[in-house]
Amino acid sequence: MKRGKMKKLLVTLILAIMMVSIIGCSGNTESSGEASNGEGNEKVTIRFSFDQGVGEPTQKIVDKYNESQDKVHVETVILPQDANVVHDDFVNKLASGDTSVDVMALDVVYVAEFAAAGWLEDLGQYFDQSTQSRYLPGTIEGATYNGKLVAFPWFTNASVLFYRQDIIDQLGVEVPTTYQGWMDLEEKIKDLDEIKYVSNFQAAKSEALVCNWVEYIWNNGGDVLDESGSPVVNTSNNVEATEIMLDLVENYSPEGITTYNEPESEQVFLDGKSLFIRDWSGFWNSANAEGSKVAGKVGATTLPIGPNGEEPHSALGGLDLVINKFIDDEHKEAAVDFLRYMASEETQKEMTLISAQPPVLKSVYEDADVLAEIPFYEKFYGIIEGGKSRPMSPKYAKVSDAIQRNIHQALSGETEVKTALDQLQSELEELNK
Amino acid sequence: MEGKVPTIPLKKTRRKMSKTSLEKKEARDAWIMMSPAIIILLLIAVYPIIRTFWISLHEMVLTDPSSGYPFIGFENYVKIFNDQRAMDSIVFTLKFTVVTVFFELLLGFGAAMLMNKAFKGRGFVRASILVPWAIPTTVSALMWKFIYNDQYGLFNDILTRLHVIDSYQAWLSSSSGSFMALVITDVWKTAPFIALLTLAGLQMIPKELYESAKIDGANKFQIFLNITLPLVKYTVIVALLFRTLDAFRVFELITVMTGGANGTESLSVYAYNNLMKFLDFGYGSAMSMLIFAVVFLISLIYMKALGNKLTDF
Repeated sequence: MKRGKMKKLLVTLILAIMMVSIIGCSGNTESSGEASNGEGNEKVTIRFSFDQGVGEPTQKIVDKYNESQDKVHVETVILPQDANVVHDDFVNKLASGDTSVDVMALDVVYVAEFAAAGWLEDLGQYFDQSTQSRYLPGTIEGATYNGKLVAFPWFTNASVLFYRQDIIDQLGVEVPTTYQGWMDLEEKIKDLDEIKYVSNFQAAKSEALVCNWVEYIWNNGGDVLDESGSPVVNTSNNVEATEIMLDLVENYSPEGITTYNEPESEQVFLDGKSLFIRDWSGFWNSANAEGSKVAGKVGATTLPIGPNGEEPHSALGGLDLVINKFIDDEHKEAAVDFLRYMASEETQKEMTLISAQPPVLKSVYEDADVLAEIPFYEKFYGIIEGGKSRPMSPKYAKVSDAIQRNIHQALSGETEVKTALDQLQSELEELNK
Repeated sequence: MEGKVPTIPLKKTRRKMSKTSLEKKEARDAWIMMSPAIIILLLIAVYPIIRTFWISLHEMVLTDPSSGYPFIGFENYVKIFNDQRAMDSIVFTLKFTVVTVFFELLLGFGAAMLMNKAFKGRGFVRASILVPWAIPTTVSALMWKFIYNDQYGLFNDILTRLHVIDSYQAWLSSSSGSFMALVITDVWKTAPFIALLTLAGLQMIPKELYESAKIDGANKFQIFLNITLPLVKYTVIVALLFRTLDAFRVFELITVMTGGANGTESLSVYAYNNLMKFLDFGYGSAMSMLIFAVVFLISLIYMKALGNKLTDF
């Protein structure tokens, strides 16, 4: 009798625990609410989500903001440093109309996708044209979708052509500005034992390949989409540019270049095996760090151009700040205030100094403190000024996938360049329907 | 044991009588005790499958909410069979599964036979053979990616020293090279799993059987064929079942090592791309259901081969 009771009690207890744990699972989606600052004044709490990669400096910046004023309180929601995970997390939230996050740091390539889905607050009303003109034009362009400013640039990045200044000096030549110019150095470096390859970039089937390829076509007067958003891939300029790229892959680069992402290509350059490398600006530090065989021997310049190119363009990366469209007006107002703070000259400068991420505000590149800390920025400004955004498409993931597949096939010699570009053109046309 | 008692007719009648009270109560208690487990199983296993199936019957691209996500029946499934890329990934996945499982069985079984012998340092060998299995797939994939590197790779170094190749090759830059590299990596990682399970099976075979076979004058080959093989068969089939299912769902290895380049996109990778990259939940779900169906079918075939032996373990 007593045992029976015990059993029943136990069963009920277990059931209760189960139920609580099930309910507990869904208990984390609490919407951002009001927090009191202890003096009775109601503060609006907004939640800001970004990835671990810039976690520490960003937390400092946010703390400073929270101390500076009494209306808004920003809570941080830090995600893992993996662009895919961050993207998936934001998609899951926004697709269900979730309001647990107010401000998000979004990779620039996803701005169009999120804007097309109607998830982003229009920021044009808060940041007028004259404000926008103080920022790097490429970054503003990348935050604009269908003529509307749907995001605000936070920090950016651009590719740079790093080369061996010591070898160029030794050869007694000018730094080439065209792909042909670099190829012509092949003959001359043959006598130097050290340098094995002229060229070095990223051609593995990945997002890095997309960045590299669009640079070749931009720098030969081509583009992926025209102004109305229709694909213009198989033009003669683009075919020529892709053939230059193929020529570099086959004859001037390490054998495994079609398997290289940033780390593999950097290793080759740091080992002193290649004359140049196309890489992101942050590589300047690694190239000159202890343990690098090329420290102090590295120069930086703009990317080369092709026969039909006029001026060099680098692909822009970086993060934009976006506001969740589903939150109420009170939170929106607070979020805009926070965005203004993040975009301000003071914050941009501070963020640059503590994170070494290139700022989006032009004036920071001329700031004496910044230049004293990062002298490279003097040279870098000339490069990032011409930066362009990768194609703005709401179906960017598919556009990128199509580019990766077809261009990688062309570069690994499986398909003719022209055939690959025709195929890419028809795939992009299909997506545009 | 208790279940056998009621075969005596006299007790059977008594049992029938008491069924109303005691057995009913027991059955009810059993259901109550099991209900948390059943509820959880329904929630975390059955519900997602039904939900995925339901989504797969809709046109649901998350970035295009204006479509209203209409019901389109089995159109997504028809699309799979008209999609060359999906077909290629199915062919690749099947090829990968057959080849890796074959080599894993060969190496794993061989290693288990060796480890079953008594020799000095056997414990150390048994522990060390498990190391590849213990390393997370992503980590071992990264490691092997570097081993195949065209500039610094160990693989190139060894082959040039052995004079198999003249100069360093970029193994992951061609279709055949990538396939070979993926198979080697997968076999390296998972053959120990088969070895370990097989070893456990081998050790369950009573020593007396071998002794009496020897006394009867059986040679080593006969002993293997008539004693070892039949007795370890079911353990090996269970190991193969796990490996086949895993190989068919191969994902991290490919994402890390090739990113699906050079015709190495597996069905799971393509399904993931559709779901999480293209946000095409309808089509991606249909593909996930296809994977589920194939995996289910593979399990059924193995279960059939096992008969009722599976529950004996």
